Amino acid sequence: MALITVRFYSLWRLHTGTGSVTLQADNVDEALAQLEEKFGSQLREKLEADGIHLDGKIQDHSLILLNGIALHNLKTTGLEEGDVLYIFPPVAGG
Amino acid sequence: MESSRVGQDIVRCIVESAEAYLAPDGKKHPVISLKTVASIADSQGISAKEVEITALKHGVIPRRYLRNIGTIGLDGQIKLLQSTVAVVGAGGLGGTIVELLARQGVGYLIIIDNDCFTEDNLNRQIMSTERNLGEYKTAVAAKRAREVNSAITVTTFLERLTRENGQKLLSGAQVVVDGLDNLSSRLAVEQACRQLAIPYVHASIAGFSGQLMTIFPEDVGLSSVYGSSSNTIFEQGIETKTGNPSTTPALLAVLQVQEVVKIITGVGKPVRNQILLVDARECTIDRIELRR
Repeated sequence: MALITVRFYSLWRLHTGTGSVTLQADNVDEALAQLEEKFGSQLREKLEADGIHLDGKIQDHSLILLNGIALHNLKTTGLEEGDVLYIFPPVAGG
Repeated sequence: MESSRVGQDIVRCIVESAEAYLAPDGKKHPVISLKTVASIADSQGISAKEVEITALKHGVIPRRYLRNIGTIGLDGQIKLLQSTVAVVGAGGLGGTIVELLARQGVGYLIIIDNDCFTEDNLNRQIMSTERNLGEYKTAVAAKRAREVNSAITVTTFLERLTRENGQKLLSGAQVVVDGLDNLSSRLAVEQACRQLAIPYVHASIAGFSGQLMTIFPEDVGLSSVYGSSSNTIFEQGIETKTGNPSTTPALLAVLQVQEVVKIITGVGKPVRNQILLVDARECTIDRIELRR
């Protein structure tokens, strides 16, 4: 198990009520499952109160980087001590 | 190129027309007024931009740029006047970007957009007014830029930038600025900028949130945030729910213009290989270092 930091930004920071948490996990999926359990319902409830419907899990509506690399670009998702996950919502307006 | 056509008589004319401006710090600077620049340009058959560049090269500050010089210097202002910047999208971000680039004195602007102003643009798109609803954004933005700064050259393209026409539309630009509202167009701009080997200043917004990245051809780009597979890409973000209030586009546009000025003048450090996350509600700006 690696001790990692998860940092939230923008609406995710506002609605989870924290800028960062630390947790222990072996891989990213495990870390996200823990976040889902800890913040999922809270995030969904608050976003829905704002009129934003989060149908799936946190990760379905988030941009997630591990140590500055997009999750989708990672070959392996194993975690090491001191890793940082960054989670923020996608914004595309102009 | 421009200055070689400018003869010694023009230089003399500029220097002799210069007035001494007493700055608040007690120093005197030779300045030249807008009216005198126009008069010299008319009488000598050269452009106002050439007069301004020649003046700056001889230590005479066009008064309209007086407040710029303390941050970017005479050389910085000359570089801006000689530069071409393309703005893709002339809406919330793009309108403010065009306005500020014209005021900053970027010599050549390319504005690309295929849309018209609608009533729901009025809350945030600085170029839109009740009177110009229905007009093309490029035409309104070009008119405004020329009203703000008659010395600059503005070219417009009434087209949507795509992977097919991107290189053609952006050709000649030294920097490209993002005023778009969807990810696929942004990816097309990024591709064209990499092919043309020029920097791209990306920003996007939603609600109180915004993000910014300056992407040089050798830098990590949008794929470092969104992933490289088309399956993983969000075409739209939370703006479809949060909307875009009056302030957020202006906030990010200001930072984008500052990136352009930094790139062209060499003053300051652009936000490269990082994503800047701006949260207007909490009044925070965070940076995340990006990797491949």
